Amino acid sequence: MTTTTIDLQQIGAEIWAAILGLDLQPADAVAQHDSDVVVVTGVVQITGDWAGAVTVQVSEGLARTATALMFGSDPADVTEEEITDTVGELANMTGGNVKSLLAGNCQLSLPSVTTGRDYQVHISGAEVVERATACCDGELVVMTMLERRH
Amino acid sequence: MRALVIDDSRATRAILSRILQQVGFATFDVADGQLALTWLADNGPVDLALVDWNMPILDGLSFIKIVRANPAYADMRLLMVTTESDIERMIMALEAGADEYAMKPFTASVIREKVDILGIKLPDTPVAGGVV
Repeated sequence: MTTTTIDLQQIGAEIWAAILGLDLQPADAVAQHDSDVVVVTGVVQITGDWAGAVTVQVSEGLARTATALMFGSDPADVTEEEITDTVGELANMTGGNVKSLLAGNCQLSLPSVTTGRDYQVHISGAEVVERATACCDGELVVMTMLERRH
Repeated sequence: MRALVIDDSRATRAILSRILQQVGFATFDVADGQLALTWLADNGPVDLALVDWNMPILDGLSFIKIVRANPAYADMRLLMVTTESDIERMIMALEAGADEYAMKPFTASVIREKVDILGIKLPDTPVAGGVV
């Protein structure tokens, strides 16, 4: 199944604008988070006629800003649990919008979230088929789509 | 007017609750369909329930089917708010008994528009609610 028509950049921009009121601007395509930055990654898996995963990666600082906007609170007051919930929901929305563009019958998993420094996300048997990078308030947002090949 | 927001994401519950409070609902929220059924059994029907589809324990579609099978909840308006945006899923939800359907990401104006479509008469003064 072809996946080249899915524009992660556009999907991400629409979600961040609608839910957070934040503007995502395209960034350098090969940009990645520095190894000393704490990165929060939300992952949703897609199963069915298309199998793979969608990830959303943001710095802990931007995740905190997004969380404060979603909860209507001060960034200094948000909890780790709230940050995890927020990034998971952003991944859920991104994955759901990707799924709606896939042909066939697919199911979306509940999101999972990982936080840490200098790590990579691997989905067993899957490879990256789409990657979009965006900039929001000077911080990097990386969205990827990984397809299981077997 | 009372609304129950059912979504496993606390963040989404917070946003939806704020939107509904701004138009005059007293809001309550729970994290899955089973907790929602328990809440309704304890507190009685609400005027409006916003229901996510993908939730642990009991998903939104199953919740809607159970609610629609109970005459005590016949007057409740059910608005599904979900990332499930395939037309087949939308039809499935409406056939199960959802009154309206909104896709994530949503905006405040979309939710307000859906509430208007459902014909719920709201008070002039917004009121507070609670969180479960």
